[in-house]
Amino acid sequence: MKIMQTQTEIMTFDPEIFFNVLLPPIIFHAGYSLKKKHFFQNLGSILTYAFLGTAISCIIIGLIVYGFVKAMIYVGQLKNGDFHFTDCLFFGSLMSATDPVTVLAIFHELHVDPDLYTLLFGESVFNDAVAIVLTYSISIYSPKENPNAFDTAAFFQSVGNFLGIFTGSFAMGSAYAVVTALLTKFTKLCEFPMLETGLFFLLSWSAFLSAEAAGLTGIVAVLFCGVTQAHYTYNNLSSDSKTRTKQLFEFMNFLAENVIFCYMGLALFTFQNHIFNAPFILGAFLAIFVARACNIYPLSFLLNLGRKQRIPWNFQHMMMFSGLRGAIAFALAIRNTESQPKQMMFTTTLLLVFFTVWVFGGGTTPMLTWLQIRVGVDLDENPKEEPSSHQEANNSDKSVTKAESARLFRMWYGFDHKYLKPILTHSGPPLTSTLPEWCGPLSRLLTSPQAYGEQLKEDDADCIVNQDELAMTFQEQTSIPCSPSPGPVVDQKASPQTPSKENIYEGDLGLGGYELKLEQTLGQSQMN
Amino acid sequence: MEELATEKEAEESHRQDSVSLLTFILLLTLTILTIWLFKHRRVRFLHETGLAMIYGLIVGVILRYGTPATSGRDKSLSCTQEDRAFSTLLVNVSGKFFEYTLKGEISPGKLNSVEQNDMLRKVTFDPEVFFNILLPPIIFHAGYSLKKRHFFRNLGSILAYAFLGTAVSCFIIGNLMYGVVKLMKIVGQLSDKFYYTDCLFFGAIISATDPVTVLAIFNELHADVDLYALLFGESVLNDAVAIVLSSSIVAYQPAGLNTHAFDAAAFFKSVGIFLGIFSGSFTMGSVTGVVTALISFLTKFTKLHCFPLLETALFFLMSWSTFLLAEACGFTGVVAVLFCGITQAHYTYNNLSVESRSRTKQLFEVLHFLAENFIFSYMGLALFTFQKHVFSPIFIIGAFVAIFLGRAAHIYPLSFFLNLGRRHKIGWNFQHMMMFSGLRGAMAFALAIRDTASYARQMMFTTTLLIVFFTVWIIGGGTTPMLSWLNIRVGVEEPSEEDQNEHRWQYFRVGVDPDQDPPPNNDSFQVLQGDGPDSVGGNRTKQESAWIFRLWYSFDHNYLKPTLTHSGPPLTTTLPSWCGLLARCLTSPQVYDNQEPLREEDSDFILTEGDLTLTYGDSTVTANGSSGSHTASTSLEGGRRTKSSAEEMLERDLGMGDQKVSSRGTPLVFPLQENA
Repeated sequence: MKIMQTQTEIMTFDPEIFFNVLLPPIIFHAGYSLKKKHFFQNLGSILTYAFLGTAISCIIIGLIVYGFVKAMIYVGQLKNGDFHFTDCLFFGSLMSATDPVTVLAIFHELHVDPDLYTLLFGESVFNDAVAIVLTYSISIYSPKENPNAFDTAAFFQSVGNFLGIFTGSFAMGSAYAVVTALLTKFTKLCEFPMLETGLFFLLSWSAFLSAEAAGLTGIVAVLFCGVTQAHYTYNNLSSDSKTRTKQLFEFMNFLAENVIFCYMGLALFTFQNHIFNAPFILGAFLAIFVARACNIYPLSFLLNLGRKQRIPWNFQHMMMFSGLRGAIAFALAIRNTESQPKQMMFTTTLLLVFFTVWVFGGGTTPMLTWLQIRVGVDLDENPKEEPSSHQEANNSDKSVTKAESARLFRMWYGFDHKYLKPILTHSGPPLTSTLPEWCGPLSRLLTSPQAYGEQLKEDDADCIVNQDELAMTFQEQTSIPCSPSPGPVVDQKASPQTPSKENIYEGDLGLGGYELKLEQTLGQSQMN
Repeated sequence: MEELATEKEAEESHRQDSVSLLTFILLLTLTILTIWLFKHRRVRFLHETGLAMIYGLIVGVILRYGTPATSGRDKSLSCTQEDRAFSTLLVNVSGKFFEYTLKGEISPGKLNSVEQNDMLRKVTFDPEVFFNILLPPIIFHAGYSLKKRHFFRNLGSILAYAFLGTAVSCFIIGNLMYGVVKLMKIVGQLSDKFYYTDCLFFGAIISATDPVTVLAIFNELHADVDLYALLFGESVLNDAVAIVLSSSIVAYQPAGLNTHAFDAAAFFKSVGIFLGIFSGSFTMGSVTGVVTALISFLTKFTKLHCFPLLETALFFLMSWSTFLLAEACGFTGVVAVLFCGITQAHYTYNNLSVESRSRTKQLFEVLHFLAENFIFSYMGLALFTFQKHVFSPIFIIGAFVAIFLGRAAHIYPLSFFLNLGRRHKIGWNFQHMMMFSGLRGAMAFALAIRDTASYARQMMFTTTLLIVFFTVWIIGGGTTPMLSWLNIRVGVEEPSEEDQNEHRWQYFRVGVDPDQDPPPNNDSFQVLQGDGPDSVGGNRTKQESAWIFRLWYSFDHNYLKPTLTHSGPPLTTTLPSWCGLLARCLTSPQVYDNQEPLREEDSDFILTEGDLTLTYGDSTVTANGSSGSHTASTSLEGGRRTKSSAEEMLERDLGMGDQKVSSRGTPLVFPLQENA
C-alpha cells in the first residue's frame, strides 16, 4: 500500500509543468497554423466571439453555478461561507476555454465548410488566451475590507489588470516575432536551414520566457508570437525551414496534447483530493450549455446584422454543439487545488472534459449530417477559381468582401500590406513606392532587393487579394510571367504523400505555396 | 497572509527561473547568429561550440561580478533524531507546514560558502539534467548518423580504438595522475585525500573524446572519409565506454578495512559490473531498436507510413523509452540510446516513409544542435558561477601532460597492431591527426560535474573544464593548419558530371534516399565492371574485415535485414526449407516484387565485402553469369567514386538530400536513353 502511495505520488506532476512545458507548444502550433485566408476574412467575428463571448460565458456560468451553490447551502450539502462568488466566477472563466480538437479533426477529415472551420478554430484559439488572462485577473481580485463583497475599485483594478496583461503579452509575443522576421530577412540565414530552424525555435521560446519573467502570461505571448511568425517570418524562411518548423511544432503539439489527455485520464484516479458533488456537477453541466447558447446565438445575431455573408442557423447550432472543453480548462483547474471549492471545481472540470470529448466528439459526424452542413468542400476550390474568374467576378466580389470586413480591418490590411509586409518580409510592394518621398533613404534601406524583382514570391497574395482594395496589386502580379520560385519545389515533392485530408491543416503552411503556383500557371495560361 | 507570502515567493522563484533560462536561450540565439556570420565568411578557426563557450564565459563574468550578492536567508537547523537524510522534508514553522526537498550534502567546512547569490544559484543546474535531458539527444543523433558505409568497413578498427584504446588511456592517465598526486603530496600542495581510484576515475572521464570541432571541419573540407569514419566512430563508442567505465570504477569497493587498496575480488567485480552494464545497455538499446523496426515493419501492412506524424512520434517515443527503460533497470541510459540509434538507423530507417525519414533526421538534428550548444555555453558559464572550484596548477599541468601521453600511448601502438591486420593501412599522417584530435567535450564535462562532493572531485571538475576549453579552442582552431601540414587529402574530388548523373539517376529510381550509396543497377554496374583491376580491389576488401565481421554481415544480410526491413533477399530463399511457413509470413510482399537490389538500400556496403558477392552476384548480375568473388567487388575507380561521394552522403544524410533529388528529378526522366 505504501509503495502504491508513492507510485501515485510520482505519477502526479507539478501542475506548473502544464503551463511551462506542455501547453506552450500546443498554443504556439495553434497560432502558427492560423495563417488562413478565411481566418482574416472572419477576423471581426472571431474576435467578437473570443472576447465578448468568453466574457459573457464566464459571467453566466458564474451566476448559474452561484445559484446552485446557494441552493446547495440551503439544502445543507455545503457549508456556508466556503464558496464565494469569486470562486464561481473563477470556475466560469476556466470553463470558458473551449478546445474543440476532436470536432476540428473531424471537420478536417470531412472537409467541412472552411468558414465554419475557421470560425470555430479561431474562436477556440483566442478563447484560450482570454480565459487564461481572465482566470488570472479573477484570482487576484481582492477587495480591501470584506474580501468577497463587491468593491468597485478592486473590480476596476482587475479589469485594468486584465487589459494590462493581455496587451503586454500581446506586445511581447509580437515583438519577438517581429525581431525574428527582421533577423531572418536581413541575414542570409536561409543558407543554413538548421540554424534558421534553431533560431526560430529559440526566439519563439524566449517570447514565452520573457513574458513569464516580466510577470505577464507566457501562453498568450506565445500565441500571438505564433500568429505573427506565421504572418511575417514564415515568408522569409527557406523552403526547407518552412517544412522543418511546421513539422517540428506539429510533432511537439501532437506529443504534448496526447500527454495531457493521457494525464487527464490518469488524474481521475491518481489525484488524491477528489470531491464528487453531484448537484454541483449537474449545475455545471447545465451552466456550460446555457452559457454557450447565450454566447453563440445573441452574438451571431448581432454579427449577422453587420455581415453580408451571414452565419446561418445550422452553423450556429454546430458552433453551439462544439463547445468542448479540453487541455486549457484542465490545466487551469489543476493549477490550484488547495481549497475545497477548487478541488470540487477540478473534479467537475475533469468530468466535463471527459463527457464533452467523448459524447460531443463522437456525435460530431451525426450532428453534421443532421444539420445538413456541407461536407467534402474542397478548400482549394475557392482560391483556384479566383484568378481566372477574378476579372469578371471582381465587381460582385467587391461588394461582398467590402461589407464583410469592417473599415478598421480594411485599414489594417492596407497598412499591413503597404508598410509592415515590405519592412518585415521580402514580399509586398517595395517600400520606396509606398512610403512618402521624404523617408526615401530609410525605405531604400529596409526594402529587400527581392521586392523589386519578383513580387510573385508573395506567398500571402491570396489572403490579401480577397480584400477588394488590393485586388489591383494581385492582377499586376498574375500578369507578370512567373519566374520559378524555390518554394514549390519541396511542396511538389511533399504533396503526393500528404493525403488530401490533411490539406486544410497543412495547406496553409507550405502547401500554400504550391497552390499559389498552380494558380499562377492557371492564370497565365488564361492570359496566353 | 502567510499563504500569500509563500505564493509570492513561489512566483518570484518562477520568474527567476524564467530569467535564467532566458539567459541561456538568448545566448544560444546569439551563438546561432554569430555562427551564421562565421559560416558566411568561411571563418574556420572557431567552431560553434567554442563560440558558445566564449559567450558563456562572458555571461558568467557578468553574473559573477555584476550582480549584487543577496543577503543569505539560509538558516541551519540541527536534527539528531535520524541518521539519514530525507528526500523531502516537512518542516513545521510556527504552526505551518512547508515542504523542502533534498539538494545534496555539504561538507562541514564549506557551510559558509553556500551560494548566497540567488541569480547564481538559479543558473546552476542539477547535473542530472545533463544526463537525462541534454546528452540523450546528442548521443542518439550520433548513433543515428553512423549509418555509413565507411563506418562498417572500419568497424574492427573502431571497436579496437574504442574499447582497448579507452581502457589503455584510462589506465595511463590514471597512473600518471597518481604520480602527480604523490608529487603534490610531497610538495605539500594537497589539502585533502586523493586516492588511486580517484585517479582512475579521472582517467575514465577524461578518456571520453569528443572531436565535434574537428569533425565539423573535416566535413566542411571534405577530408578523407576513412579518417572521418575512424574518428567519428571512435569518439561515439568511446563515450559509451567511458561512461560505463567511470561508473564501474565508482562501484569498486574493496571488502577489507582499507577501502582504497587493491583487492582482486572487488576488481573483478568491477570488471563484471562493467561488462554487465555495457552488455545490458547494449541489449536493451538494440532490442528496442529491433522492436521499433518490427513495429514499423508490421505496420507496413496497416499503412502507418501514410501518417508520417504518427510514425515520427512512434519512433521518437520508442527511442526515448529505451533511455528510460535502461535507467529504470539500472543500466546506463545514454549507452542504450546510442545502440538504439545505431539499430534504428540500420533497420528501422529503411522501413520509414520518405517523409518520416527526413522528419526524424531533422528533428534529432535540431535537438542535437540545441543540446550541444547549450552544454558548451553552460561550460563557459560554469567556470565563473560554479562555487567550489579547486585550481591546482600542478594537477592541471600534470593532467595536460597525461592526456597527451595517454592519447599517444593509445593511438600509435593500436594503429601499429591494426596495421598488421589491415590491408588498407592507417597512414602515419592519419595517426598523427587522430592523436591530434583528442578533444574533450560534453561527455567529459557531464561526467565530471555529476559528482562534485569531495575535494578530489572538485579538483577534477576544474581540471576537466580547463582541458575542455583548451582543447576546443586551441586544437579545434589548429585543425586546418594541421591538416595541411600533415598532407591529408582534403577536398577529395567531387564526382565528375557523368558520375553525378549516374547517381542522380539511381537516386531517382530508388526514389528513397540518397544518403546510402546507390546500389548499382544493371547498366551502371556493367560500366563500372568493364575497367579496372578487379582482383586488387577484391583482395583488399577481403582482407580488411575480419572473419567474424564477415560472418555477421552475411547473417545480417540474409536473415536480419529481410526479417526487419523490406529489403534484402526474401527469407524464403535464405532460410532452410523446413521453416518455410515462418519465412513466408515474415517476408514482406514487397521483397518478392522487387528482388532486384535496387530496393536494397544497404547492399553496397555489403557488396564491398569480398565474399558476399555471391548473393549479390546472383541477384543482380545474372546476366554476367559468373559468381566469382571478385566480379562484383567494385573496381578501383568505382571505389574512388563511391568514396568521393561519401562526403556528399554526409551532408545529404542530414536532410539536404531530398531537396536535391527533387530538383534534379525532372531533367533526368529518361537517363537510359542518354546513356545509350
